Amino acid sequence: MTGEDSLEGAGLAPPAAGAEETSQAEIHESWLARARHSTAFWIGLAIVAIAVVFGVTTPLHSFVKPENLLAIGLNASVIMLLGVGMTYLIGAGHLDLSVGYSLILASVVGAKTMVALGGSALEVQSGTYANLALAVTAGVIVAIACGMGIGLLNGLLVTRLRLSSFIVTLATSGIAYGIALILTSAANVPYIPNELQDDFGGAKFLNVVPYPLLLALAIGGVFWAVLRKTRFGMRTLAIGSSRDAATRSGIDVNGHTLRLFVMMGFLVGVAAIVDISRNANTNVAGHQTDNLQAIAAVVIGGTSLFGGIASIGGTLLGTLIPVMLANGLVQMAVPPFFQYMLVGIILILAVYFDQRRREKSG
Amino acid sequence: MTAAAGTATAIRATGIVKNFGHLEALRGADLEMASGQILALVGDNGAGKSTLANIICGALIPDSGDLTFWGDRVDVQSIAHAYDLGVGVVYQDLSLALDLSVADNLFLGREPEEHGWRRFFGVLDRDRMRNDARAALGVLGIRVRSLDAPVRHLSGGQRQALAVARAILWAKRAIIMDEPTAALGPKQSGIVFDVVRKAADDGLAVLVISHDIPRMLTIADRIAVMRHGRVVAHVDARAVKLADVIGIMLGQEVA
Repeated sequence: MTGEDSLEGAGLAPPAAGAEETSQAEIHESWLARARHSTAFWIGLAIVAIAVVFGVTTPLHSFVKPENLLAIGLNASVIMLLGVGMTYLIGAGHLDLSVGYSLILASVVGAKTMVALGGSALEVQSGTYANLALAVTAGVIVAIACGMGIGLLNGLLVTRLRLSSFIVTLATSGIAYGIALILTSAANVPYIPNELQDDFGGAKFLNVVPYPLLLALAIGGVFWAVLRKTRFGMRTLAIGSSRDAATRSGIDVNGHTLRLFVMMGFLVGVAAIVDISRNANTNVAGHQTDNLQAIAAVVIGGTSLFGGIASIGGTLLGTLIPVMLANGLVQMAVPPFFQYMLVGIILILAVYFDQRRREKSG
Repeated sequence: MTAAAGTATAIRATGIVKNFGHLEALRGADLEMASGQILALVGDNGAGKSTLANIICGALIPDSGDLTFWGDRVDVQSIAHAYDLGVGVVYQDLSLALDLSVADNLFLGREPEEHGWRRFFGVLDRDRMRNDARAALGVLGIRVRSLDAPVRHLSGGQRQALAVARAILWAKRAIIMDEPTAALGPKQSGIVFDVVRKAADDGLAVLVISHDIPRMLTIADRIAVMRHGRVVAHVDARAVKLADVIGIMLGQEVA
């Protein structure tokens, strides 16, 4: 900001400066000029580019068939849900590394609740739940409550003990995983009601859009609106931008941070239900890379690791990239493991650009 | 708020003591701010100016001493508490959220909401925020490229002006400013102080901490001089000479 000592540079116009009253006129940039600065715009372009490349290279252009694109969305839906919550936390200057293992614990207790309330052992094992509605409802509630409970624990440790969210969630991640393995003896929970998969996890709205994707997009839409349009969203980014400024503005920073962690936990619970609905099984051995994938999607999508800047749209798009890479590589008969390398490289680029943007604008 | 009578005592600090470990920052400081007046708080580095201001605005709790706000003895617990009592602050570091827009920063913590069902969800009334922000900045003669632009994109002077504007917009009865024009050139400072003057004329009690004593002599009504953790003199800004103020600051007898 050097060399801006002129009156205009300092932003103060002399009162009654002259005839022209242009001083108050705001310059509105064209949408294209603004889009150029939006990471979501660039990530969207990257996705189109990936789609074009795979569309051309896959046999029979199978990659760009609508059903394949919807399958990609379906495969991204769990990470979308996690990424939405992560966008808020990173936007507020925090991290949650526990989402993957919290998801396992939430899915285990949710599944166990369903099995326990479903009916007699014989009924449950034969796949005919006597109390289907009750069992599923209770299982969903318990899974979400479990996720929120872990979120509450994370939030309390971060706000009350003033520990770094990085360490806290790394620790609770281990705790959640341990409890999940103890509860299940490291085996998956059997006899989850098939209806969960038939009517939701594997079902499609109007026979076109997979329900889990629809749910993830609907929740993404709600959280987008909250972030952009409400006091809660604005204060979230204010905290991430400057904790001191937020505190001095009278914002209850600790209370707000606690709510963000509980909100993340809620989304973990929802993601857990989506996960067991899709697979009709818990996946105790999986989800190791969920937190990496969610954080990568958030950062690739333009949310700043420094806090203060966040984009739900960018996150939703960001979740698609690893899934698209995996899907396309498989169809080209290339080992899908390349996706991990590519995502790693993209993540490094995204973080680098975020950092450079910060350095440039002080 | 109300056009208060010129010299009604607004805030009185009596016998304020504050230690930081072995450091005695304040050793029984007394200060009196009047509604409708600008009080300049001057003194050498380490005299205790910022500490005293921070106690009045709730950022620090005194070890002992009394605060009286508009006749009532108060134990100011926090910045939010002082704010509720009508005291606004411009911080030395400005306390702006650089990633948020100009309008958002002006209203942070006091965001207007839409009515009806949208209020239930805490939906911001961004039209009102923009309009009120435009009006508030217009009064100050502050120009920004866009009210929607992040504060990060503003120059140092623009940020300073914004922080002052925010305090003036929200202070109900008093405003505390710690070096409000430190980053500004003389002309821009003049404009800010014109606005501060106007705020005082509207009945606000204003406390300005500044190293710029010559300017304080011209813009303030009264000057409080601090030395070694005490306020050693309250003088009329128009009746005192620069040499005298500096003499008091340095502990010399006034001729």
